[in-house]
Amino acid sequence: MSLKYLLLSIMSLFLLEVGSLASSLKDSMSFGVNSYNDNADVQVYSPTLSLFKKVSHQWMIGFKMRIDTISAASIKNGANAGHVDAVTSASSTEDALYDDIRYAPTFMATYDDGENMLSFGAYYSTEKDYTGKAVFMNYVRQLNEQNTAIGIGFSQSFDKWNPVFDRALPRDERNERKIDFSINQLITPTFSMQAVYSNMYSEGFLSSPYHYVLQNNIAKFENYPQTRAGHAMALKGVYLLNATNAMNFSYRYYFDDWDISSHTLSVEELHDFSSKFMSGIKLRYYTQTKSNFVQDIGNYTLADKYFVTDYRMSAFDSFNVGIPFIYKLESGNKMTASIDYYQTTDNDYVKSWYGVDNISAVFTTLSYEFDY
Amino acid sequence: MIKAILLIVALLMLGCAEKLVRVMPYEKEYFAQDKMSLSPLSERAEQEGHIFLIREASAGGESSFQGGCGCR
Repeated sequence: MSLKYLLLSIMSLFLLEVGSLASSLKDSMSFGVNSYNDNADVQVYSPTLSLFKKVSHQWMIGFKMRIDTISAASIKNGANAGHVDAVTSASSTEDALYDDIRYAPTFMATYDDGENMLSFGAYYSTEKDYTGKAVFMNYVRQLNEQNTAIGIGFSQSFDKWNPVFDRALPRDERNERKIDFSINQLITPTFSMQAVYSNMYSEGFLSSPYHYVLQNNIAKFENYPQTRAGHAMALKGVYLLNATNAMNFSYRYYFDDWDISSHTLSVEELHDFSSKFMSGIKLRYYTQTKSNFVQDIGNYTLADKYFVTDYRMSAFDSFNVGIPFIYKLESGNKMTASIDYYQTTDNDYVKSWYGVDNISAVFTTLSYEFDY
Repeated sequence: MIKAILLIVALLMLGCAEKLVRVMPYEKEYFAQDKMSLSPLSERAEQEGHIFLIREASAGGESSFQGGCGCR
């Protein structure tokens, strides 16, 4: 069954009599700034902007913009965070304020009649060595007096590498298709759950053009398989503990044909300190297995087909702890903020490439949201 | 896998409608609160999604879109 026919079949199931219930669309805007800093000497500061405007009772158009200003030792040195790279050479100018800037606008439109919500749009990102382009669509149908919501999402990206040094890649494109199915169900007046299944397929140049394996007798750029098929299944829930406390949790299981499988568990507790101020704590744990083509550092031979430098192809765990803040202003507008600490377990590949035992990072968000 | 999901969805729509109406409209007030959202801070959810996609080898499980980048 072709993908186009499949999508049309699914959508035809949901095209029942369209009611005229009140839509939830409203004119809104937000702007903010995010940050990311880690011990591999990467700093990213990201102003963000979003603008949504109703053009009719049931239609809305939207625009989002994210700008990543990136400073990274790996960019300054060429590829390796620990030393100037003789192979790839540095890719930033010495007096530049940032090593790279990434612009990522997204355009979207939404239809909402209270029972059916359809969103679709396009994404584009550009930076020195990478161009990202994607289209996406998401449809949600409310059922059972809005106790059940069934959703389907689809995205297709057409990304392209353009390395800053002179290297002819075997392929310069990196394409990914993703299909999501979700079911949201209200269980009780204080408990709801959601199940999500994602099907992902990537093909093209899936490693980094800057990473390379350097052993006594081998100097080889990273080489991965040209296709990757992955599946993810997630179960989530939110539960009201009492009038001022709620808890949300999620569990995801992922596996793919590179033999990487992972478990992700997160739990968050939120507390209303007053009618205006809410905060809490979030904990997340992640563990993954290694890919079927990664080897211990130093064990690659010239006869090998695949070469790996990236720690993400090896087995490791990670932990994240974060604190969210929401403050509601008199006008109904709100400010949100968060701070998170993230750390991986010690990893030989991290040590080899970044010169540190593990990756640890602090990332923050700050935004102001209002209706107009 | 996809065919199995479509079958489950069809069964849900056709066979279980009455049993799935568990919360009446006048009982839904709590779900309007920020703390009763799966992602109460949308900006943070996007930031987390981007960082975990770069720092880990897994993806999916979110019914939202994340754009790609050349992040090292």
